[in-house]
Formats: sequence, C-alpha cells, structure tokens
Amino acid sequence: MRLTVNGKAIQIDAEPQMPLLWALRDLAGIMGPKFGCGIAACGACTVLVDGAPVRSCVMPVSQATGAIITIEGIGTPEALHPVQQAWIDEQVSQCGYCQAGQIMTAVALLEANPSPTDEDIDNAFGGNLCRCGTYPRIRAAVKRAAGGPAGA
Amino acid sequence: MRFVVALALLALPAPVLAQEAASPQGLAEWQKIYEVFSHPRCANCHTEDDHPRWSGAHYGPTRIHPFNVRRGPDGFGNTGLTCQTCHQETNAQILHGPPGAPNWHLAPAEMVWFEKSSAQICAQIKDPARTGGMDLEEVAVHVRDDALVAWGWDPGPGREPAPGSAEETFAALERWTALGAPCPAEESGE
Amino acid sequence: MSRLGTITRRTFLVGAVAVAGGVAFGTWYVRRPYANPLLDGLSEDEVAFNPFVKIGTDETITIIAPRAEMGQGIATTLAAFVAEELDVRLDQVKVEHGPASPAYYNAAMMEEAGPFPFFDESLMAEVTRRSFGTVAKVLGLQATGGSSSTRDGFVRMRQAGAAARIMLTEAAARRLDVPAAELTTADGEVIHESSGQRLTYGALALDAAAIEPPSDIPLRERAEWKLLGQSQPRVDMLAKATGAPVFGVDITAPDMLFGTVKMSPVFWREPANADLSKAEVVPGVIRIVPISSTYGHGFGILATNTWAAFRAAGLIEADWGTPDYPADSAAIDARLTQALADPASGSSMRDDGDVETLFADAPRERFVEAEYAVPLLAHACMEPMNATAKLADGKLTIWAPNQVPTLTAQLCASALGMETTDVTVHTTQMGGGFGRREVDFSIYAALLADAAGGRPVKVTWTREEDIARDVFRPAAKGRFRARLDDTGLPVALDMTIAAPSILGSVMRRTFPSISPVGPDATITQGAHDQPYSIANYRVRGIKTDLGVPVGFWRSVGMSFNTYFHEGFLDEIAVAGGMDPVDLRRRLVADYPAALGVVDRVAEMANWSEPPAEDRARGFAFALAFGSWIAQIVEIADTPAGIRIEKTWMAADVGIALDPSIIEAQLISGAVFGFSSAMNQEITLREGRVEQSNFHDYDAMRIHQCPTFEIAILENAEKMGGVGELSTPTSVAALANAVFALTGKRVRQLPLSREVAFA
Repeated sequence: MRLTVNGKAIQIDAEPQMPLLWALRDLAGIMGPKFGCGIAACGACTVLVDGAPVRSCVMPVSQATGAIITIEGIGTPEALHPVQQAWIDEQVSQCGYCQAGQIMTAVALLEANPSPTDEDIDNAFGGNLCRCGTYPRIRAAVKRAAGGPAGA
Repeated sequence: MRFVVALALLALPAPVLAQEAASPQGLAEWQKIYEVFSHPRCANCHTEDDHPRWSGAHYGPTRIHPFNVRRGPDGFGNTGLTCQTCHQETNAQILHGPPGAPNWHLAPAEMVWFEKSSAQICAQIKDPARTGGMDLEEVAVHVRDDALVAWGWDPGPGREPAPGSAEETFAALERWTALGAPCPAEESGE
Repeated sequence: MSRLGTITRRTFLVGAVAVAGGVAFGTWYVRRPYANPLLDGLSEDEVAFNPFVKIGTDETITIIAPRAEMGQGIATTLAAFVAEELDVRLDQVKVEHGPASPAYYNAAMMEEAGPFPFFDESLMAEVTRRSFGTVAKVLGLQATGGSSSTRDGFVRMRQAGAAARIMLTEAAARRLDVPAAELTTADGEVIHESSGQRLTYGALALDAAAIEPPSDIPLRERAEWKLLGQSQPRVDMLAKATGAPVFGVDITAPDMLFGTVKMSPVFWREPANADLSKAEVVPGVIRIVPISSTYGHGFGILATNTWAAFRAAGLIEADWGTPDYPADSAAIDARLTQALADPASGSSMRDDGDVETLFADAPRERFVEAEYAVPLLAHACMEPMNATAKLADGKLTIWAPNQVPTLTAQLCASALGMETTDVTVHTTQMGGGFGRREVDFSIYAALLADAAGGRPVKVTWTREEDIARDVFRPAAKGRFRARLDDTGLPVALDMTIAAPSILGSVMRRTFPSISPVGPDATITQGAHDQPYSIANYRVRGIKTDLGVPVGFWRSVGMSFNTYFHEGFLDEIAVAGGMDPVDLRRRLVADYPAALGVVDRVAEMANWSEPPAEDRARGFAFALAFGSWIAQIVEIADTPAGIRIEKTWMAADVGIALDPSIIEAQLISGAVFGFSSAMNQEITLREGRVEQSNFHDYDAMRIHQCPTFEIAILENAEKMGGVGELSTPTSVAALANAVFALTGKRVRQLPLSREVAFA
C-alpha cells in the first residue's frame, strides 16, 4: 500500500482497515500524531488529508488516498511554520501531548480563515481535548499566527 | 355513518378535511415511514438548531453532540471541525467509534424531524420548499438510493438501526403517495 | 495541646512506607550522601560535578532535572535553579531527567505527609517534617508529587550549580595563576576582567572536576537572580511544537514488538475459563500471555502492531469473577454512610476547643448541618498508560513515563525475580500525569518483555483500559455541623469525613505483604489543615475501605475536602447572613498571606458590586500545598445551560520562581477542577467501571473555558507549590456560584446531577 506523507511516497504493508494513525506510527515511524482515544473524541491524532483535518485514529488507511500532512510536515525546528512559532511565542504547551493535533487544527483553520474570531476558534477546536487546560494560550497563539493582536 | 362524516366536515377547517378523507391504509403506510424518520438514527441529524444529537446505549439520555460540533455554513460543519474530520466513508468498527457514510452532514434545518410530531414531519415531507425541492417521488428514490440515508439501517457496532430497510421504506413511501399521501391529525395537547 | 498527644500515640502510614523500604534508621545512614549516579555513564571528555551537573569538553552542559515533566514545566524551573548559580543561560544547556537514583530523593514531598498544617511551625510539627524528610532520603524515594518539586530542589539544586561554578572558578584561577577572587563567571565562561582572559567551562571541566567540592556553598540573594523570578522560555517548548518524539508512546527500538493489556474489569480477580481463540487469530497477533501482578490479573498481547493488539484485547473472553467490594454507586454510598454513623471510629486530625459541649448545649436555630459526597474520578491523562521494556542477558531496561522511578525499578525487579541493580529505568516525558503514573504499566511491560524472547516491546493501553483500570480519586462523604454565634460567625465547626485511605490502597498494590496501620492524613487534607480560627474546631477522618484501587489525583484529599469545607462555609455564610468573602476575612484574620489573597481577589473581581443580570459568582479559599489561594468564579445562565464566564485567582506562592509557568499551572489546575466538578463521575456496575472513553468521561473543551485574571503574590514567608494549587478552589467556587445563580446547593458532585452546563 502506498501513502503520500509530507510530500514523500511511502510503502507500507497494512490491512486495509488499519487506522491511518497506526500505519503512520507503528509501520512508518511517524510519531507526531498521537493516540489518545481511538474513537475520534480527543483530536490528538489529527493530520491533514488534502488540506482537511482528519482524526487519523478512525480513518482506515485504505481510505487515506490523499496527500497526508503530519506535524512533521509543516515545519522543523530550523524552519518553523508560523503556527509553530506562535505556539512557542505564547508558550502554549504544557504536557504537549495534544498539541500536535491542536497545531494541525490551527493550520487547517487559518488556511481557510486567515483572521478567525473567538467563535471561529471555539468552533474549530471543540474536538481537540487538552487536559492541561492550555485553551487560553491556544486562543492567543491562533490569533498571533493570524497576525492579530497577541495576548489572551 | 354518512351523517356523522357530514357533521365533521362542517366542524373542521379545510386542511384537516383531506386527512379525514384518508384511507386507513394510507395512514398505516405513513406510520411506517414516520417510525423511520423519527428514529434516532435519522432524527438525530435532522435537527432544527445547530447541533446534531447523540443517543443510545453508553451515551446517556439524548443530548447535544459534544465537542462543540455545529452545523456550519452548509451542514458539513465548521472549518477546522467538519463532519468529515471524524466521520469517514464507513463506520468505525470499534465500539463508540464514529459512524461513517459518504457525505456525512446535517440535513437542512427546515427538514427538521428531531422532536417533531408525526403530523409535523408529514407536512414537512410533502412541502418541496422544505425538502430541498424534492417531490414525494424524488424523496422516495432518495430514501432508497442515498448512501447516507442507507447508513440508518447499518449504523455500526453498538447502535440500534432504524426499523425496516431502505427498500421497505421506499415501498411504503410509494404506497403512501399512491394512497394520496395522507397525514395524521395533530395529537391532542400538541 | 491534646491534638499532639493523639498524634504521637499513633503510627503514621509513612512509617509503614519506611518499613516497606526495608531500611534501618541510623545517623550514619541518614548523613551518608548517595553516590553520584552520573559517574557510570560518562564519556572520557565529560565530567559530572555532582548528580545535577555534567559538563563536556565540547561545551555541552547538561543539567539533570530529576522530576517527572508531565506538563507542569518542572524541567525548566529545576534547570533554572542550577543555571542561576552556575552562570549559564538556559539556552546553553541540555536538560535531562537522568537515571532513576536514590540520589534524587524527594524530601519536601514527604515532609508534608504528616498531620500538621503548613502554617504550624511548632517544634513538634518541624521535628515531624524533618524526620519525614529523612525517611524520604533514607528510602531514596525519587518521586514527583505533592506539588513539592521546586520546594525540594530550591536549595539542593542551586547548591549543585554553585558548587560546580566554584570548582570551575578554582580551576581557572590555577590555570591563569590569579586569585579566584579576581574571577567572575557568566554565560558558561570564567572571566578575568583586568587581563581580559576568558576560559570556557568546557575547557576547564576536566581540571575542575578533580578539585575537592567546596563544603561551604553560599547562595545568591534574590536581588542577584538573573533567571529565577522571571518567566523563562520553557526548555521543552520547541520539541513539543514540532512533534518531536519525547513521550513514552514514542519510544522506538530496533526489532520492537507492540502490545497491550486486557486486565480483569473486576478488580483483584483472576480470570477463569478464558477463551483466547478469537483474539489469537487476529492478524499480527504473536502471543497472548496471562499477567499476574500485585495490581491485578489479566492478559498481555504481543503483536506486530498496536492496532492488532488492541483488536485482540477486545476479543478476549473470560469469566472475570465477582467483586468482593461494594459493586455499585449505591453500595459505595452505603459503605460511606455506615462509616459516618460511627464518627468516634475516626481519627481526630484537628480538635480545638470542646466541640462536643458546644453542640450538646445549643439552640437548634443556630445550627447548620449538611452532608456532602463526591464520586470516584479517573485521571484520563491525554497519553494513555504505557511503557516499553526489554529483557535481555538478565538485564531489564524500561522506558516509562512515570512519577516514581526508583519504585519502578524495585517493583519491576521484584515482578521478574531480579535484583533492582539489574533494572535500568528511563523516565520519558509524559502526556499528563496528575498523580496517575505509578508502577502498574511498567510491571506489565516487564512481564510482556519476559515473553518477548529478548525483543523490546512497547505496551500501550487502550483508552478503555486506561479509564477502567485507573487508580481512582476516592469517593468520599462528609457530615458537617456548625454552631453560629449571634453575629453569624461559626463558634463551632465539626467535620467528619469518610473516605478510603490512598496510602493504604497504594500499599496494597505495591507492598501487599505489609498491613498499613494508623490514620491517613489525605482523608482530611484540606479540611483539618486550613488557617481558619474557629474556637471549637474538630475534623475527623474515617478510613473506609471501598476495595476499588484509589490513588493520588491532582490535589489528592483537597480535591474533595476543599469542596466540602468551602461549600459548607458558604452555607454558614448564608445561614448567618454574612457575605462569604467577609466571613473568610474574619476567619483568616490571623494569617496575613491568607487575608492578602482574599482581599486581592475580591478587589480584582469587584466583589462588592453585584454581577450583571443572569450572572452569579462563587468564592472559595484554600491553603494548598504550601501556597495560599482565593478564587472567584462567575457563571452565566444561558439557553444552552450554565456557562463559566470568568475566573479570578489570587495566589500567594511565597517566591514566584517563574510567573509564566505559575500562571499556566493556575489555569491548568482550574480547568482540571472545573472538568471534574461539571460532569465527571466514575460509576461501578457489578464491580466494573461503567465509563470507557471521552464520550462518557469528557473534560472541559475550549468553548467551555472561561477567561482568567490572575494575581501572583509573594507575601508568604515560605515558598509553596503550584501544580495542584487551583484545582480544589475551582471545584468549590464553581459549586458556590451555582448556588448563587440557581439557589440549588449541590452537595453531591458532579454538579451535572442537578444543573446543566453549556
């Protein structure tokens, strides 16, 4: 089976029903997307497929025929994505486990809506659970990445 | 007998007239259709407000879909959290995993079934202004052929399916239409 | 004081922990320093000055921050302790958790495990603290908990940095042949200003390490601090913003297998008549093995990928047995109610004045009485329990996101019949901890490694297993009464609380051969130790075993006792016709730090002005983990339900080491508390947990999150913790706000039993 992840074609040997998350993590060694619930209830596994946010823990790998982007594919420590830079500037992460999913949601949101309101942010991030309660700083970072005024 | 009917005709306003004239068979066919439309597998996504609903074993009493899931501009959710973010083209095979079918989305707000009476749903389905322009024949074909509608009878692990089948509901719609598509009277107290 | 007499006659559970460690006390043992665990793993061009500082000739400066980084930012602040005195920038250093070692014992955590309130500075209290701290040192108990890490590291780790700096300076003095007093240090260099000569720490490291460590290590005054006291960029932020594989679940090793566990949903029971046939044929499954441990019994699955292991776990069929403990919520409530019926069986953790007489002879109309209860709660860390283990050549290596590395080594060794010295524990970063990350998942990984033929195996729990096999926040129930004077002030307060002993439950699953005796201060933590001056004041705790494993859950006993205590004080205020803030002001008048936060938060929230229409506010105060906090929550009645709109917090932490991290922790603790208070509840049916995932055990989401206004004060004389500080008051202030909004006094959590949240 062939997947396109972060611009590279990769070959994996997976059952068609295997969720994309496990194909990425266990078979392809791409660790950015995280396992949190397995039922699309927490958002830690969020990746982009053809630009749209998808919970990879419930997408069968056989349906992942589009271009897959994980957090590893949006930026690197040497060349950060503006959303990643905003996350650092606002010191968002605590435990950090949900943040790859949060950041991918932010990337998807800002791609479609370059200047989101608080309501737009609420509507986009309700599926991304954070047990550390970083929500106020997520808000601030999304606005900062959008070029708006910083600060929660 | 005829005398009683004549009295009723005098007493009732015009729209109800047709119902009184309805064949019991027609109403019986509608009842089958209503049981499908009002079933949680269908009605939970035919809501009037912005939110789909959750219900069933392990989900507690019927409640608003959590995670701030909303209708969005086109019924497909909001940017960053669309229906397709979680609902794939097929059901998740894991218990409590999201159900899936092609084009998962909320029905238009005017096509509201959730918490609506049999009479209200009946009136709605006969009104092309509230069916996205479909007449009854088109509604029947839609029920028979649409993949998202079909999901209602194959809702994945742990969920109770809608009664009957797509084919049976299609047939009931055809028979009901042929019998004049009668609607039931609004129940007292409504 | 009679209270002290009572206490000294009893053996505290901490004593049992000491016995479990199998050590004898002696001055020699106590004073003996632990060996430096870094000495083993050094390369030739690298030296370790002490357990906290390594420097390489290539200028790599490594600071060991030996506490679990589970989001609270501890790696950053502990590194800043060392860096402050070492004179290096945080961006110049590598920060590592380091090995599991008794050298990293946590004395501060143990010091407050005794029965004394934080503000009690009596000789008895201080002696007890010192001896409990000594227990921690003698046991070498390396642990993260009790919001104790910064208090524990404050002196020790700054001294470690200063000692290394002094040795580096001395080496430079010898090399440059100048008096050490003429040298200064900055940014990893020793500088001789007058000659303009500079030597890097890397260039001096080998020489410096050979110098005798100083015995007198003066520490800098606060005014001289460059890092501490100011917000620092977190050392883990870049990795976490770029998806770096830093968590336990991210461990990868050559030839690694994947696995999971399916433990009996009925606690303590061994499965019978197991049918593994469906599970074993799942493609990718290699082997299914029985697991037997002090934590429970079940099965482990080895597979070629995690998904195969998960599927197999769901297909295991067995007779899981029947519970020998209260099997549902009604039975739990009955057990707690039964315990409360005999209050004399409890331990008095506070007994000021003469409560009995005050209630025996008082007019009924001046009484307030109430009964409160809370359910079991799960931790639901974002990263489910997991560990990776490899057993080869008689050595066990464990990579585990855990809060107790030395105990992990000890119990994994014991599970496999090995020596602790043959076990290496690597502590990874963790996706949330909240008190959950003890030893079970590591033991299971070790047992699966034993079946993996020398290959490493990463054992990840399903979320369902993580919820069902948690070590829960105890269910608890309290019965309270107060007698008010003519002005509405309480002249007598009597609280009796029944709850399972957390320490007793921990002992059952870690050292089951030892029967813990004596009272457990966590049962009344947050009720007996509050700085309220009430002339007749009694708090009794009744140890009530519920069978279900219970554990440390962010803020421990305070997670329910502050709700009990502050909820009941709110009722007293209403009954006495007093303003809730005014009531607290009068009761804490003897404690300036307490008064300071109460006044400050009232001012921030403009408490004296009524809120807008359809809105209401609730107040709560607590002395928690050495810090003082007052909190106001404002909620609104909306068509969709109650919304938490705004939260004000004033917290006095004594010394604010890193304001940005403290602010983050205060928000974090509040969101954690709100989550639990609004909707969370673990219930049992036939002894099994009914909840299984976030669809029925959810937490606060972004659209439910209020805005925050926070003041961090530094008036208190002693430094306090922050990791658990705001959770207790958030629960209580929210419940009190719900009363103010709806008139409903919700005395049983979660609040969703009686009101709906948007």
